[in-house]
Amino acid sequence: MKKIYLIVFLIVANLSLFSKEPYESSYEPLPYTNTIFRNANIYDGEGNEFNDIDLIIRDGKIIAIGQDLPYSSDLIEINANGRWITPGIIDIHSHMGVYPAPGVRTSSDGNEATSPVTAEVWAEHSIWVQDPQFALALKGGITSFHVLPGSANLIGGRGVTAKNVQRNTINSMKFPDAPHSLKMACGENPKRVYGSKGQMPSTRMGNVAGYRKSWIRAEAYLSKLEEYEAKSDEAKEMGYRPSRDLELDTLAGVLRGDILVQNHCYRAEEMAMMIDIAKEFNYKITAFHHAVEAYKIADLLAENNICAAMWADWWGFKHEAYDMVQANVAIVDQARNGTGCAIVHSDDAIGIQHLNVEASKALSAGLKAGFDISNARAISWITSNPAKAAGIYDQTGSLKVGKNADVVLWSKNPLSVYALAEKVYIDGALAYDRDSSYEPASDFDVGIINPTKNRIQE
Amino acid sequence: MKNYKFLVIFMASLFSFNDIYGSSIVIKNANIFDGIGEESYEGHILIKDGMINRISKSTSLQGDIIIDAKGKIVTPGFISPDTEIGIVEIGALSVTRDDQSSIYDIGFSIHDAFNPNSTLIPWNRSNGITSALTLPRNTSSPIGGLGSFFLLDSKLDISSEADIVMIGRIGESGSSSRSETLSLIDDILSFASSLNKKDISSNKIIDEIIDDSAIASYMELMPRDVVALYRLMNESLPLIMKVHRASDILKLLELKKKYGLNLILMGAQEASLVSEEISASKTPLIINPIDNIPNSFDELASNINLAARLESAGITMMFNVARDHNYHLIRQGAGVAVANGMSYSEAIKALSSNVADSLNISKRGSIKVGNYADLIIWEADPLEPSSMPEKVFINGEDMNLTTRWLRDRYIKDLDKPNTYRN
Repeated sequence: MKKIYLIVFLIVANLSLFSKEPYESSYEPLPYTNTIFRNANIYDGEGNEFNDIDLIIRDGKIIAIGQDLPYSSDLIEINANGRWITPGIIDIHSHMGVYPAPGVRTSSDGNEATSPVTAEVWAEHSIWVQDPQFALALKGGITSFHVLPGSANLIGGRGVTAKNVQRNTINSMKFPDAPHSLKMACGENPKRVYGSKGQMPSTRMGNVAGYRKSWIRAEAYLSKLEEYEAKSDEAKEMGYRPSRDLELDTLAGVLRGDILVQNHCYRAEEMAMMIDIAKEFNYKITAFHHAVEAYKIADLLAENNICAAMWADWWGFKHEAYDMVQANVAIVDQARNGTGCAIVHSDDAIGIQHLNVEASKALSAGLKAGFDISNARAISWITSNPAKAAGIYDQTGSLKVGKNADVVLWSKNPLSVYALAEKVYIDGALAYDRDSSYEPASDFDVGIINPTKNRIQE
Repeated sequence: MKNYKFLVIFMASLFSFNDIYGSSIVIKNANIFDGIGEESYEGHILIKDGMINRISKSTSLQGDIIIDAKGKIVTPGFISPDTEIGIVEIGALSVTRDDQSSIYDIGFSIHDAFNPNSTLIPWNRSNGITSALTLPRNTSSPIGGLGSFFLLDSKLDISSEADIVMIGRIGESGSSSRSETLSLIDDILSFASSLNKKDISSNKIIDEIIDDSAIASYMELMPRDVVALYRLMNESLPLIMKVHRASDILKLLELKKKYGLNLILMGAQEASLVSEEISASKTPLIINPIDNIPNSFDELASNINLAARLESAGITMMFNVARDHNYHLIRQGAGVAVANGMSYSEAIKALSSNVADSLNISKRGSIKVGNYADLIIWEADPLEPSSMPEKVFINGEDMNLTTRWLRDRYIKDLDKPNTYRN
């Protein structure tokens, strides 16, 4: 019996080796630091809080959570002593790498603002892996993040999910088996960028026409592709493969359900319209991003199983961001008897370092609005919910036995502004340790002010 | 009984609106961070005629209205020193921006554009900001543009102090050398100091002064610009310079010494590299303690420990924020500063008395007898951004803390169609 498994495994392994695609993740975890945490307080990312409890991580996975777990000699023992543990924090909306620091023109690679539909571009092809912002985010407990193209275009290109480890190639940071996303954008940005060039779209109705025209082309491409794929091997050899189109490859990927739509959209009526477009062309929107007016259509989002990724409080920088209410996150979360999917995102290199505090502000506003929301539930806004929206929830986003050991040990309750991430584990390996003299750094950080020091060393 | 209670509250609110200067308020059992001392203390505060009339640590005080703070923290109203409150409603909509001029430069004042009905005012007030310094956008001159101080009480009868600071900037520009900019600043300041004790009582005289000066003529200065420069030197107007790089900071400290400037540095991400020099020159700083991003090549040393490092050098600090509109987030910045080594009392001062002292705003920014009663009673720790004010007093008036009430349209009366919601 075992032999059969082995043979099957070998065949599958060979097949996957054979069919290994270009741009595939080559991520390998850091060396495992198998650990037992004693006497911890835990927010598990699923809405549960456990107090005075133990957690074991081994060989990259969550092995056990429970009282008085047995010690074994391969484990490092850490007495959390009442400190808090959460899953690794995940940001569903980041431009790290594509808009790196320093923010100079020559590295400003987030918007291919030369045509309103650029589904063919991939954010990962812009990422500067030496962006010093990654290391800063790691110190804020960020273990995975989703990098999106900007919002200049109606359809801006593919987004990518990365592990927050310092590497010299993007493929070795890419989150294994994470789906690509497609960035779409509503509202002011596309119509401003192209309208100012005297080009379509210059209006919101022009925006909608632009999406629909693209999906019509994608449908035609996909049906040709499927027609070809349905043929027998002999017929395939006889006929011509439809010629490949990079832009339509991506759009067809959405129609097939392989690529997740991340849709920048502020206003309620525009989000509702995007849902109608998704229905017309039979694709799914995974999340609306920024979604300042999500609270106005929270039920509609819950009914359609669409997440909203929101700021705790940013507003007013443009007209479509004027109707901010701080309870936005909570109202989305509580829609349809608490079946809403609320995410707190950053879209910002400072905000990403403090997503725990952003969630705390959103929770506080929700409680003031009269909702009964637990601290543990608020932690799901920055862990399991963004993991779902990134399509990696089966692997991370909560402290469930068998999942990746993406774990943060906090100095205090992470909903406090005073809480610091003390230890950050990615796949059961220590990626950041506040107690060690080792300072996470990219090559950019090294020796740039004082030749023998890291940029932020005293 | 219920109705009766409501009536009392209603009467009380009438009182507070119409008869504020007649009635006295006592906040008792407060845990007072006064913006001055290192520690908080338990005490009672008597507010009379809009001012802090008495503070008692032991004996209870008598007043028309007694508010029991029940041991909660009371702080001075926080002052945000770098805002666009009242002159920018929506960032990307130029029609709602009143922060720049195409005619005036050094002497450009935003004061008369202030809109006390801006939605930013109740929003920031309900989050603990009782007054703010509002600054124009950078002008084409490397120093120039005047900022004004405003109370955030939403009254059309505006309480303000007009044109109390000048702003300026030095650093990477992408076009000309910073050496050129420094020379230009030096030349402008040289011209400004030549105005010392000159008669500038009429525009005609000023026009002649301009004609006599190569730099003033080249810059096509207007009489308002010259008056502003005169005030900069003769009234010791604070000059708030936006600067990051350590070497630029040192150059500005030289200019401070040369011209006797009342200099304040803003941004100052590399200040920790020259903290001894800043400290020795007694120059206050406006920093954003949560900003540790090396956003430009001028800010490579930016660090989350900046506030703690500057405190240990004995430097006076104020805080600003990176993004517009939420100027109250200086509280979150202060919390992050404390999380990373700053002392709690210095962080409170950075939000209150340091601003008033550095900007010469008298009788505000601290809780002491004789000051205006700008006070906040906090739910909990004011440096936790999740904690909000329970009560905000400006000039002794118990302020309304309602912000744009869109929220309630979507959590109340949900069975009603939108048309019938308030």
